[in-house]
Amino acid sequence: MPSLRELQSGVMRALLDGEPGGAVPLIAARGIAPQHRLGVYANNARANFIESLISSYPAVRRLVGEDYFRQCARGFHARHPSLSGDLQPAGAGFAEHLAELHGDDEFRYLSEVARLEWLVQESLLAADHGPLDLAKLQQVPAAGYDDLRFCLHPSARLFASKYPCVRIWEANVGSDAEPEPIDLGAGPDRALLVRDRGRLNCHRLDCGEERFLQSVQAGERFAAAVERGAARNQGGPAADGAACAFDAGAALQRFVLAGVIVDFR
Amino acid sequence: MDNGAHSIARAATGDPMPARAGLGASAGLEARAGIGLRAQHHLEVLSRAPAVGWFEAHTENYFADGGAHVDALARIRANHPLSLHGVGLSLGSTDPLDTLHLKRIRRAVNRFEPALLSEHLSWSSVGGRFANDLLPLPYTEEALRHVSASVAQAQDFLGRRMLIENVSSYLEFECSRMPEWEFLGAVAAESGCGILLDLNNIYVAARNFGFDAQRYLDAVDPGAVGEIHLAGHSAVEFEGQELLIDTHGTPVCDAVWNLYRAALRRFGDVPTLIEWDTDIPALEVLAAEAAKADALRAEVHALAA
Repeated sequence: MPSLRELQSGVMRALLDGEPGGAVPLIAARGIAPQHRLGVYANNARANFIESLISSYPAVRRLVGEDYFRQCARGFHARHPSLSGDLQPAGAGFAEHLAELHGDDEFRYLSEVARLEWLVQESLLAADHGPLDLAKLQQVPAAGYDDLRFCLHPSARLFASKYPCVRIWEANVGSDAEPEPIDLGAGPDRALLVRDRGRLNCHRLDCGEERFLQSVQAGERFAAAVERGAARNQGGPAADGAACAFDAGAALQRFVLAGVIVDFR
Repeated sequence: MDNGAHSIARAATGDPMPARAGLGASAGLEARAGIGLRAQHHLEVLSRAPAVGWFEAHTENYFADGGAHVDALARIRANHPLSLHGVGLSLGSTDPLDTLHLKRIRRAVNRFEPALLSEHLSWSSVGGRFANDLLPLPYTEEALRHVSASVAQAQDFLGRRMLIENVSSYLEFECSRMPEWEFLGAVAAESGCGILLDLNNIYVAARNFGFDAQRYLDAVDPGAVGEIHLAGHSAVEFEGQELLIDTHGTPVCDAVWNLYRAALRRFGDVPTLIEWDTDIPALEVLAAEAAKADALRAEVHALAA
């Protein structure tokens, strides 16, 4: 008699690796071949996994169509099976999988859209947080602002791509209408995703705002974040070398009002 | 926060680990049948409370730190009794129990204070890889000792008793040494868990493996059953032989309603849930199935009175 461990290892190889040889002799046939019986479970496992990707990547699915999406999802499942009893995290890494498939061809923007969609998932599931306590901020003397370290909402996620992927994403979620064509050469996109009272907002950023928020998110002092906001834009996927006209006061006001900056220390 | 919410949860059930799964553990759920809660019904449930007794949510769907789903369930829970039903703990796996998964369940229990908490008599992972499906165990002494210890460990971790559900199965292992009903009863006796009896799963297994479903019911200890599930299934064919698949995508079939009558007579007025997970219909369709269950309960009890 096999041990429980041996039995489970054999069945899992049949379900995830397509190698039923170890499991078949352990299963009673009773009119239906063990391979068919195992196949029911293998199909369930794959279908559940693919359903999870479908719910996380609606724009990618719409861009490539149902058949090709499923083909990519099957390939991703074969190489990166779920590592948790909760399927939600299983879709992490799909962007990298698409980049391996399409790193050099005309669909290389797909991986960037997938990366954005995964940030959307992270943002939707992140912890809740109330707005900034303005009265508390007003107690800080003006001279003390430079040393404040502002905190972003737990759902805040920064995204930048050299293709117009935020525009592509926005055109492919929400509405069933056929989207207007988007020129892949239409320049980089930068955005901040954040939840505000249950709603996911996507704020388009200029390069100064992006660098300012990156600095705040890294836990740097306000003075350092302002300095970064005004620096030349030379890093990251949306780098274009442009100098940024950055207004620190306007940025602070915008991101406090939008529920992006929610605390400080 | 953990401790405060926890003591409320315990107070609500009277006893964190009651000896029986009956009235004490399911307080508030007896009056009417419940339905499975799915995310596409959140807003409708919140805007016009449907005529059902309670809701059962898949625990994993509310694992997030925050966000709209967690918020919706908290608000639904404010107005309705709730059961949390896990599909991913993989209690029968020979891997160690996933502590992170258990912590997430515990957080959900503290947040939502469910009247019932359940999982499955199955495994879904080994070597760290998950099939995310409810795989059947071999019914052996080794598996019995193993899964009973895992259930007991999970209950200790969570600080409360769980109900363990029989699953649908499409294969049997040659090495099994006892029928499923005997295995299920022994796990309950050894671990102290209650039983969530899924009548559709019994029917599916009975048809797939050629046993009498009534025999299964007759073997289950009435004192251990804390909840009943009703659902629909579909059929596939392999080389001319039919195999029933537990799809949860159709109405409850007549044969399962008949099993429900027999179960009500044997197990009494146990909290009953309508499950529907694929091709999810309008809320009214689910409420109508729940009303049908309520009508049968009234009918059986009128005869018994």
